[in-house]
Amino acid sequence: MRFVRNLIPLSVVLALGAGLACKQPEPPKPVEQPKPVVPAGPTQEEIDAQKRAAEEAARRKAEAEAEAARKAAEAAAAEKAAAYKRAAEAALKNINFEFDKSDIREADKAKLQAIADFMKAYPQAKVQVAGHCDERGTVEYNLALGERRAHAAQAYLVGLGVAQDRLTTISFGKEKPLVQGKDEKSWMENRRDEFQLQ
Amino acid sequence: MTVPGWLGNVVGRALLGLILLSAPSGAQAPQGQEIVLETTQGARLAIAVPRPAVSGVNEGKVSTDFHAVLQRDLSDSGKFAVLKDGLPSATDPSSFKAWSDAGAEWLLAANVNATSEGIEVVVQVSDVKTGQDRKARTAVFSKRYTGKEAALRRMAHKLADDLVARLTGQAGVAGTSIVFVRQVGPGIKEIYQMDRDGANVAPLTAYRSLTISPSVAPDGRLAFVTYKGGGPEIWGQRTPGGAMVRLYPLSGKVDGHCFCPMWSPDGRRLAFTQGDRRGNTDIMVLDLHSGKVRQLTNSNCLNTDPSWNPTGTQLAFTSDKDGTPQVYLMEEDGSNVRRLTREGNYNGSPAWSPGGTMIAYVSRFEGKFDLFVYKLADGKSYQVTTGVASSESPSWSPDESRIVFSSGSRGGMQLYSTDLSGSTLRKLTELDGCQSPKWTRSR
Repeated sequence: MRFVRNLIPLSVVLALGAGLACKQPEPPKPVEQPKPVVPAGPTQEEIDAQKRAAEEAARRKAEAEAEAARKAAEAAAAEKAAAYKRAAEAALKNINFEFDKSDIREADKAKLQAIADFMKAYPQAKVQVAGHCDERGTVEYNLALGERRAHAAQAYLVGLGVAQDRLTTISFGKEKPLVQGKDEKSWMENRRDEFQLQ
Repeated sequence: MTVPGWLGNVVGRALLGLILLSAPSGAQAPQGQEIVLETTQGARLAIAVPRPAVSGVNEGKVSTDFHAVLQRDLSDSGKFAVLKDGLPSATDPSSFKAWSDAGAEWLLAANVNATSEGIEVVVQVSDVKTGQDRKARTAVFSKRYTGKEAALRRMAHKLADDLVARLTGQAGVAGTSIVFVRQVGPGIKEIYQMDRDGANVAPLTAYRSLTISPSVAPDGRLAFVTYKGGGPEIWGQRTPGGAMVRLYPLSGKVDGHCFCPMWSPDGRRLAFTQGDRRGNTDIMVLDLHSGKVRQLTNSNCLNTDPSWNPTGTQLAFTSDKDGTPQVYLMEEDGSNVRRLTREGNYNGSPAWSPGGTMIAYVSRFEGKFDLFVYKLADGKSYQVTTGVASSESPSWSPDESRIVFSSGSRGGMQLYSTDLSGSTLRKLTELDGCQSPKWTRSR
């Protein structure tokens, strides 16, 4: 609109000039005049919009980069957690006991060493040792025997260098059998310590 | 104290010929399945209990909920022999000679009538022998019971207890209850209660957790162990009928795990078992009023399973201090520890009799557990059950005439009761996974 408004006075000047004299050969300035015609100078709004767009693009890029970094970190953390879990699963195997006994069997010492190694490799690991019994024997005495079995493994692990406060104990007596069979193999499976990450 | 049917000449591990058999699967006998019929009437009084005369009440219900219950109660009391064979067809109490000829000493005549409030049961018991002489004919017992129809079972229990009291001077136990543990899911056990004969089973806890080892105070307060907070804690009631609260440990801090709460006879103290930092367990006593705890045992072994004597001055308990689990006695301050059981390499679950003269326990022999009773005056043990399955967790009836216990295979554990001779065995439950029964008069 401004363009149009500028043109109108210009044409009036030209008409007047032509009629008055030839003395003035100077080329009409009007050519200069239209400078403002140069389309454009972006308006303030346009400048703002461009700025916003640039900022938006930069922001998106940064976001994408951050997201990628976050995903990478998450994946790394997940892998680390999975490795922790795998290591825990590999290490935390049940150990078993003879009837009415709580002595660590020779055969189970390697298992306890693996648990100690795992706990040293993962200082964040805290483990609950749960003592269990087979179905034979009284409810109440087996609860006490389960206590002793849990403490036997705890003491052995402390002896291997695991801090005692990283190992809690609990006894379930004969209240939570692993298997239901009524043969020595089933009973042996039920006379156990279970190790669970806390 | 008298022990009907007690075979005093049987010592040590002599067998009484009672074989505890598994019930046939699918058996529809939720209450009192009689496996071995009573064979001797001995000191029992022979009573005839003809079918009651019924007016305005469902006869089938009277038959099952009153007549059958009453006969079983009287028989279970150990004081009566209920005549079952060769009875006169006539129920006319006036034909006393026929009843006497059939072997009856007492004749129970009952009328069950509808009333405006519910029902009434009018009972008259006659001495049949003296009754034959019209001049001497007198009722030895007469009473009227009233209630709703739903109370028929309770009325039968009350009548049976009244008749036992009339005969012996001591209250019967037909109306008593049994608190026990029932498995309701994998790793989930709750405390339940039922009538002494197995009827009216109802839950007392619903923690959806491992909840075990109930004990009942003389005023009915419960104590038990629950793992609902993760580890085992002792919960129960501070007031009769009150809410279940944690009784021990008093704060959240646990020094050692707690098991096996057992109310003292005065209901003021709880004996229990507590683990130490080395995996040993000791007997402790908590005074509920002061909150003070006293340690009774302090040895490098497992001590557990406390059971008070009826005066609260001594405790029986299980310890492996000599290498294998055995039953010991001690004073309530932990002094004077002496070993009770000498035979076998696994004895446990002592239960001091209400009269104080006997201790029931379980003993492992040839791979399974059976019930034994140690008679303190004799210094000897008597075998009560001889099972193909393991029997566990004995608890005395309040009149110490019978013992309730659990027996069967794992998962299929059921509750039974037996007299001390082992001659009348009753299966009380058909609810797989029952354990740790406690017989009580107070709930």
